[in-house]
Amino acid sequence: MKCVILAAGEGKRMHPLTYTRPKVMLPIAGKPILEWNLTNAVRAGLKDFLFIINYKSGMVRDYFQDGKPWNVKISYINQGKPLGTAHAIGMVESFAYDFVVLCGDTIFGTTDIKNIMKKDAQLGVTTTENPSQYGVVDLEGDLLKAIYEKEPNPASNIINAGMYHFDASIFPAIKKTKISPRGEFEITDSINLLTHNDQLHAVHLKEWRDVVYPWHLLDANEELLKTQKSRCHGTIDSKASVTNSVVIGKDSVILPGTYIEGPVYIGRDCKIGPNCYIRPYTSIGDHCHIGNACEVKNSIVMDHSNVPHQNYVGDSVIGCYCNLGAGTKIANLRFDKNEISVILNGAKVDTKRRKLGAIIGDDVQTGINATINTGSIIGNSVFIGPGAIVNGEIKPQARIW
Amino acid sequence: MCGIIGYTGFREARAVLLDGLKRLDYRGYDSAGIAVIGTTLRVYKDVGEIANIEKQIPALKGTTGIGHTRWATHGGVTKENAHPQLSCDKKIAIVHNGIIENYQKLKETLIKKGHKFVSQTDTEVIAHLIDEVYDGNIEEAVFAAVAKLKGSYAIVVVSENEPEKIIGVRKESPLVIGVGDNENFLASDIPAFLKYTNRVMFLDDGEFCVITKNAIRILNAQKKPVHKKEEVINWDVKDAEKSGFPHFMLKEIYDQPETIHQVLRGRLSEIEQTITFSEDVEKLLASKFSAIHIVACGTSYYASLVGKYFIEQLTDIPVEVALASEYRYYGSRNPSVLVIAVTQSGETADTIAVLKDAKNSGMRTLVITNVIGSTATRIADSYILTQSGPEIGVAATKTFTAQIITLLLLSLKSAVLQDTLGSAEMYTYIIHLKELPRYVRDVLQRTDEIKAMAEHLKDATSAFYIGRGVDYPIALEGALKLKEISYIHAEGFAAGELKHGPFALLTKDTPVIAVIAQEATYDKMIANIGEIKARGSPVIAVAEDKDTEIEKHADYVLRFPCESKSLSCVVIAVLLQLLAYHTANLRHCSIDKPRNLAKSVTVE
Repeated sequence: MKCVILAAGEGKRMHPLTYTRPKVMLPIAGKPILEWNLTNAVRAGLKDFLFIINYKSGMVRDYFQDGKPWNVKISYINQGKPLGTAHAIGMVESFAYDFVVLCGDTIFGTTDIKNIMKKDAQLGVTTTENPSQYGVVDLEGDLLKAIYEKEPNPASNIINAGMYHFDASIFPAIKKTKISPRGEFEITDSINLLTHNDQLHAVHLKEWRDVVYPWHLLDANEELLKTQKSRCHGTIDSKASVTNSVVIGKDSVILPGTYIEGPVYIGRDCKIGPNCYIRPYTSIGDHCHIGNACEVKNSIVMDHSNVPHQNYVGDSVIGCYCNLGAGTKIANLRFDKNEISVILNGAKVDTKRRKLGAIIGDDVQTGINATINTGSIIGNSVFIGPGAIVNGEIKPQARIW
Repeated sequence: MCGIIGYTGFREARAVLLDGLKRLDYRGYDSAGIAVIGTTLRVYKDVGEIANIEKQIPALKGTTGIGHTRWATHGGVTKENAHPQLSCDKKIAIVHNGIIENYQKLKETLIKKGHKFVSQTDTEVIAHLIDEVYDGNIEEAVFAAVAKLKGSYAIVVVSENEPEKIIGVRKESPLVIGVGDNENFLASDIPAFLKYTNRVMFLDDGEFCVITKNAIRILNAQKKPVHKKEEVINWDVKDAEKSGFPHFMLKEIYDQPETIHQVLRGRLSEIEQTITFSEDVEKLLASKFSAIHIVACGTSYYASLVGKYFIEQLTDIPVEVALASEYRYYGSRNPSVLVIAVTQSGETADTIAVLKDAKNSGMRTLVITNVIGSTATRIADSYILTQSGPEIGVAATKTFTAQIITLLLLSLKSAVLQDTLGSAEMYTYIIHLKELPRYVRDVLQRTDEIKAMAEHLKDATSAFYIGRGVDYPIALEGALKLKEISYIHAEGFAAGELKHGPFALLTKDTPVIAVIAQEATYDKMIANIGEIKARGSPVIAVAEDKDTEIEKHADYVLRFPCESKSLSCVVIAVLLQLLAYHTANLRHCSIDKPRNLAKSVTVE
């Protein structure tokens, strides 16, 4: 059985992080989202993978190559144009006839993947509190009657989870699928066409982690870090202290005076400390430096980024190749303790979080004592001058003085 | 010049080919066609734009095929002359870009052998030649046929007997392999398949490639396998589209603040007060040479003229600027001379011929181009990229300003190497270069003002551009832009030359655009304007914001901002591009595809 993973999307709602990478390559607890799905699918027994790629496809290919490090075979299909899920799945017609499809930007569990591989299992479903943003499924027992996309007043809270098991009968349905109001060919429309003749069985998922907005990465990161076991391939100085589960990658050094309170993930070739404080649910990528008098809490810091001198980073996501100037601090709590809203792609979005720092794209440099306010969205390659105060949404390549 | 594409993989070839051709239509657009191998080989072709031809082509089953968009060189624009061309048994189809010089002779021989020709093209000869030697192995047949050809070509071949296989070969015309997943591409240029893959391999002259959906084999002319590295192209598909502008040209004009950044990227060091190029370019510039010859065609020629002013102003090196098509007939081939070729596409046939000639005479060669991996970059000792992204509009805009800036950087570097420029001066240049995008953006914001001025130009049948010093080549380029896209007869003159002839043409209906940016020549320009006014011709002056005198002399004034005298030419160039654009737009001209012109001219 083949496993098709949809990994072509840009993920506009994940801006500014996806200006420079596809959504599936966003790291959570030290691994890209796509790798979590791959390893879970491998554990479920799948060995033959087809990745549908398009947006910044080179990054996916460079990372996963032919699948050897995971002892599986991975081949790729470039979708060409982002024309929707049905179009993407239609691509595999000449390559697969009995296959599992996973949406690459949602994290699925091993047991659930095993269940969908069974004969009478076609559609993964799950329950959610905000069904209006998803495709709501109408079930009779475990038989699917129809899927209704993004209805304002959904009839139930059971939704399509983005995990499917198809055979060749899906392809004629895909060809008959018409373009949807939002301008895409949607696999849910193809499935609705199938329900007229075929019996499709739904499978209720036990694990399901959908990441839509950048701050959802922090929730997923927390959840996945809770499951990690301590490992140290680097060096911890005897004058540093490390508590709870902490992963330290190869060649990383933890210098004196550092206090790490797990769960924390630290990648390869990092220099942590001296004298810094890393608090729970923090993931630090490869080749990073967290320096003297810095505090990092519940955050993701991606590869090659530095939080080097007297910084505070809380509830934030920092992209690759960023450098914070000495004294740059990120606020993560409003004075009135209200929920934080952000401006993303020009529109206001309520994050429903009381604590949120900044979402910072790749290659951002800040000057000394720059101040970054709660809920700031900073595009890639932005320069923030010394002493500058940053608020709201900053477009890529901007210069703030 | 023409655009060609080949595809083999899992998608319906029809859609992939037509889509690719639309992206190649800047290479030619008088007729187009595709051949798709399903159960049999089927060909559809016609005269006209691809979008119209597409409507006539039925749904075709088949995942291998070739396509062509034509810009006629041999044979008129007819359906028969459109590509693909077929062999007698209609089982071999080929598309071709270039010129076969000995096709007449080959054609006569083939006719004697009983081959029936249906077109007037040189291309059809290739199809029959392959057919003549074909005995079950298309690769061998293409090898044997190509050995008989003289001229320049990029050819892509498919055969019904060997479906799922395409053969490509190139000599002096571009051909790029697109490396996909379970599919592969061949095309004249990258945008044709950029949607599906950004991994490419560039074929070199004389090389063959045999492509199936899962394999790419490259052979040299001796049939020895060649190993090539994949290169990754970092343009986005978006870069090759219009991003909301009505024309590519306008988009590209508005790209300029960004492209100027790109040209400067990694080359300016404010702290060390120097200019950095790649190691081999710097080595070349540091070597001893007696003079520089800059060769180019069209817009690149005018950029080169600006370059001459820069280099001679900043260094002691004598510079000669020559049209590539003429340089071949004169010029001492002195090995102590450095030849700099300026070509946007890196494929301009005349310029490439000069480069080869110069190399053969032992001269050192440097290329300034926008296209990495282009023929020119592979011939020259070293190259500097203008890093402007693909330019689709036939009228060059962003690549012109990028060429000027590259030449300025080059002259600054030479001046540093020769010790003819002090560090304080260098610092001023660097600061002004960094400011340049801001000034260009400022000019772009004056588009309404410029559009209003275009009203005074749109009904003219003839217009003159004048300037002195570095403004003279800018006037030439301004005139070229206007004539290219608005079809108004426009000429640029050195202001001092007017009275030596062109004066005879001035009437009250001949607007004169006078570029007045240089302090040193200001008074002389005012005097020239006076002379023109005396003949009753309306004068549109292009002058600095700070110039308070000019209203007294000119009928209309367009203003530009700039702090630096030597860089004002870039800002004025952008202004004149907008003036030409708006004039052409008011005249309802086909701006991105002016009649009779093609983007890069790959025939001599």
